[in-house]
Amino acid sequence: MAATFFGEVVKTPCRAGTEDEEEEEEGRRETPEDREVRRQLARKREVRLLRRQTKTSLDVSLLEKYPCSKFIIAIGNNAVAFLSSFVMSSGVWEEVGCAKLWNEWCRTTDTTHLSPAEAFCVFYHLKSNPSVFGSCPKKSMQVTVLTCRHVTDYKTSEPTSSLRTPFLKALKTQSFRESPCCSLLEQPNIVHDLPAAVLGYCQVWKIPAVLYLCYTDVMKLDLITVEAFKPVLSSRSLKGLVKNIPQSTEILKKLMTTNEIQSNIYT
Amino acid sequence: MASRYDRAITVFSPDGHLFQVEYAQEAVKKGSTAVGIRGTDIVVLGVEKKSVAKLQDERTVRKICALDDHVCMAFAGLTADARVVINRARVECQSHKLTVEDPVTVEYITRFIATLKQKYTQSNGRRPFGISALIVGFDDDGIPRLYQTDPSGTYHAWKANAIGRSAKTVREFLEKNYTEDAIANDNEAIKLAIRALLEVVQSGGKNIELAIIRRNQPLKMFSAKEIELQVNEIEKEKEEAEKKKSKKTA
Repeated sequence: MAATFFGEVVKTPCRAGTEDEEEEEEGRRETPEDREVRRQLARKREVRLLRRQTKTSLDVSLLEKYPCSKFIIAIGNNAVAFLSSFVMSSGVWEEVGCAKLWNEWCRTTDTTHLSPAEAFCVFYHLKSNPSVFGSCPKKSMQVTVLTCRHVTDYKTSEPTSSLRTPFLKALKTQSFRESPCCSLLEQPNIVHDLPAAVLGYCQVWKIPAVLYLCYTDVMKLDLITVEAFKPVLSSRSLKGLVKNIPQSTEILKKLMTTNEIQSNIYT
Repeated sequence: MASRYDRAITVFSPDGHLFQVEYAQEAVKKGSTAVGIRGTDIVVLGVEKKSVAKLQDERTVRKICALDDHVCMAFAGLTADARVVINRARVECQSHKLTVEDPVTVEYITRFIATLKQKYTQSNGRRPFGISALIVGFDDDGIPRLYQTDPSGTYHAWKANAIGRSAKTVREFLEKNYTEDAIANDNEAIKLAIRALLEVVQSGGKNIELAIIRRNQPLKMFSAKEIELQVNEIEKEKEEAEKKKSKKTA
């Protein structure tokens, strides 16, 4: 309590921290409207599984139909371009479903019409060898994660001007017995976001998993960055899946030209 | 922590970094590749042409610009910054000619550009220019020159160099292939520039622009057909070299 110049008595903020009184007051202050807003927000943030063509929702149990032997996840536009031009162009891949989610960091407030560029994940399985992932981890499954990171995030004692970008680094779980097709990620570098979550999950559930991280200085869709993933084609998980490399390179070039965003800032 | 020392240009970090200058060098890497080669009687500038939008007038998207009749430059980085630097350099070239009745030397105009860039690394409230430049030309003494400047305001003379995206790959190629034979005559020097660019250019000869200056001659820009001819010659030579190799191993 403090007295002001004008003689009123005001409550001063307590420097000892929040008092219990204040917390009760806060609870009392929450109106039914606040609760409704919070409920709506929680509903908006739900992860939804659906079939894109029919726009009907998909049951997780349907995805558990087939046992999964190889789960390959590509995160980021360069990794996705690599997977779609090299792996998915060989063989017939069927779209099984997709997952989309919205949260406050998305640039649009429209949760029903999210574009594939936003929080979206599409699941495909190879028609000739259906091996869609299942939600319960199977011991015989092998997970491969592909993603990109800007080279300025790479910590090394060597001068950064001597680094030859783009370059691949690998991180694997304990149960992954194969040797990865590039050198391992050295300390003190760490992996962030979704790739870290996937790898962490696999480590806990003893699933053999490997993450191939491409450090590049061009984060937008770039041919040289995508081609930096090529050594991964020799790994056991992708070996049987890629048939025609020259054709894939052509498909990749086409993808580049269609997705090129015109920008005049840099020449 | 980098973030506490990278806001204002005039602040050094505790370990002596000027982060804004280093970040400006990152901006340079966002521009497409440019390569410069100093031959015996020729200087060559080759650039990776940026893809032009359908409705855009191609003539107005240029990476190689003449500063005077005997000096030209290629840049990589922020387009608007390059325009300002080029305009200042062109005015300086004419001012020098009118004042001392002699055209600028390549080193003089490079030093002018580099000094301008350095001023912007030491001014309050200004950011550095986000461009690197390759400046080529012939002096009155007939000696070919190639200089490179960067956002920090340093400049050096080079025999061959590259700037922009994938500059490191191109520079390594040049280190291996810049030999006395490779610059023996003008045509070989031109081919070396194109071969260096083909290492990193995404769609081959269509996306390459080339300019040369020969002794006592003005700047010459190659047409698309001329570049295509050179590219075809290079591909033929490559095939022949590969055939020879396979014969030897057999």
